[in-house]
Amino acid sequence: MRINDRVFGMLMLILAVTYGYQATLFPVPFGGQESVGPETFPIMLSVLLGIGSLYMMIKPDEDTKWPPLTMLLELVLVCGVLVAFAWSIEYVGFIISAAFTVAFLSWRMGATIAKSSITGAVTSLVIFVLFNKVLELALPSGILGF
Amino acid sequence: METLSLLFDGFTVALAPESLMFAMIGAILGTLIGALPGLGPANGVAILIPLAFSLGLSATSSLILLTSVYAGAMYGGRISSILLNIPGDEPAMMTCLDGYPMALKGKAAEALATSAIASFIGSFIATIGLVILAPILAKFALKFGPAEYFALFALAFATLGGITGKNQFKTLIAAALGLMIATVGIDISTGVQRFTYNSLHLFEGIDFLIAIVGLFAISELFFFLEAHAGDGLKQVALNKLKLTAKDILFVLPASIRGALLGFVSGVLPGAGASLGSFISYTMEKKASDKDGTFGKGDPRGVAAPEAGNNGAASGALVPMLTLGVPGSGTTAVLLAMLISLNVNPGPMLFQQNPELVWSVIAALFVGNLVLLLLNIPMVGIFVKLLSIPPKYLMPIVTMVAAVGIYSITSSAVDLYFMVGFGVMGYVLRKIDIPLVPVILGMLLGPEMEKNLRHALVLSDGDWTTLLSSGLSIGLWSVALAGLLLPILVGPILRAKMKRSKAATEEA
Repeated sequence: MRINDRVFGMLMLILAVTYGYQATLFPVPFGGQESVGPETFPIMLSVLLGIGSLYMMIKPDEDTKWPPLTMLLELVLVCGVLVAFAWSIEYVGFIISAAFTVAFLSWRMGATIAKSSITGAVTSLVIFVLFNKVLELALPSGILGF
Repeated sequence: METLSLLFDGFTVALAPESLMFAMIGAILGTLIGALPGLGPANGVAILIPLAFSLGLSATSSLILLTSVYAGAMYGGRISSILLNIPGDEPAMMTCLDGYPMALKGKAAEALATSAIASFIGSFIATIGLVILAPILAKFALKFGPAEYFALFALAFATLGGITGKNQFKTLIAAALGLMIATVGIDISTGVQRFTYNSLHLFEGIDFLIAIVGLFAISELFFFLEAHAGDGLKQVALNKLKLTAKDILFVLPASIRGALLGFVSGVLPGAGASLGSFISYTMEKKASDKDGTFGKGDPRGVAAPEAGNNGAASGALVPMLTLGVPGSGTTAVLLAMLISLNVNPGPMLFQQNPELVWSVIAALFVGNLVLLLLNIPMVGIFVKLLSIPPKYLMPIVTMVAAVGIYSITSSAVDLYFMVGFGVMGYVLRKIDIPLVPVILGMLLGPEMEKNLRHALVLSDGDWTTLLSSGLSIGLWSVALAGLLLPILVGPILRAKMKRSKAATEEA
């Protein structure tokens, strides 16, 4: 199968065209038009990307295998947890969200629930103390506020 | 003579107790990072950059810390090659060929010690080469005008895939993507907003540190999850070290030859450390394999590629420091570090900031010595740490990386971007698009555009100015050769590298 490269090439071609088109819409800079405006370089890039993506579609390489659907869903879940970590760090605080994130990751990588919880708790505490006390770099303490 | 006195000044900085401490910490961290399969030097340095920032270190201290990490990572790569038969990064591949068989024969400790000595010789000779060559190249580079610089950047991209690169068009796509990301934000010379969509977070552009950590470290996490590699791999047990002066003398010529070859291929654009270790190994095999012992655990087969690999790593610093053009992934990350410390590499660096350059070069010497001293007696500790299964290590590394990113601006938005880049890195790697050109594009984009502008403003909009001097024509032709050669020679070389690996596996 050589579908990966074709699809990706198509997406890149769309990106190249939109990017190039958007660059032509830039306002004329204050002080008048120069030979190289803010749009010149981006337009050159969109042409380059266009060439590359066309080549990919015309001469695609052999596909590498994608993981099965369950694994893809799991990876999406991991992304979700990482995003949730980013969101919760300011509201819930670093210690709890980091402990949960590390524990979750290590559980998904095959550690037992007990061991991964310990890893999570210890990691988040050590990082928190190291950053807040030793390096004097405030990580939000959140609802544990002390 | 001037160089020597500058270098001497550098040593007084590098030998100060504080610098020695940073060199030591860097060396230990670097060895660990290099040793962990899948993490690799580029990753490790990338994760540590934001942390060095948050420590509030001075430019010199952070440079010393991170160059030691860089040097250490090159040492560390060999540990997993020898004990696990898995190279920590691509250049370490050739070390597997004789290192693993040696370990299987119960000579793991000797293989590690031999390779440590060879690494030291490689780095040492190449750093001397750096001292000699860098100032000359820097002086020469002063002749470069904007048109030449523009051509030079193009050359950097064209040769980045290296002579062993697979698909030049994929490198092109990657470079274009990186350069495009670099155009996001307020245009420096005109103040026009580009691709910001009125989002305040995008006004300053996207920080390349976020991209580096996302593309390398986070995507690595996804790959580990996918491969169910959480348990780690079985490693060969370590025996007690029995190394005599005779053994060292036996591998000395191989190491020196490897170091010289490695240095040359490190300096040349597009060759890099992979080719350095490959050439060193094959040349050594041709030169000294009289009894067919190569590939079956010959210590010279460990020494030559290891010296070549480390020689190339130091050699790659020559174009990076003097021209601001990195030749490999790890040097690209080092360039990222310099730019974020407000140090602009290039010929002017040697004139404006000589103390800094020379203390870094001195730190390379010191760091290497520290590494050699650390690596022989302490290799057991590193091996122990290597046996921590990735299922505990990877989440911790991910968290440290995330904290580093968060500490740059204390904003959750940066973390969202980091995850986004992680997904992008995962997809790009699945499609076989290299990640290094993306990073390089983000790093060099602003400079490249600035030079294009200067060149065209000077010539009043005449595009032929880009090809007006002999120097720029020369640079463009090398760039063209860099694009075309891999298409012609690449398949042959790659097949050769594969064959020599396959041959040893059968044996």
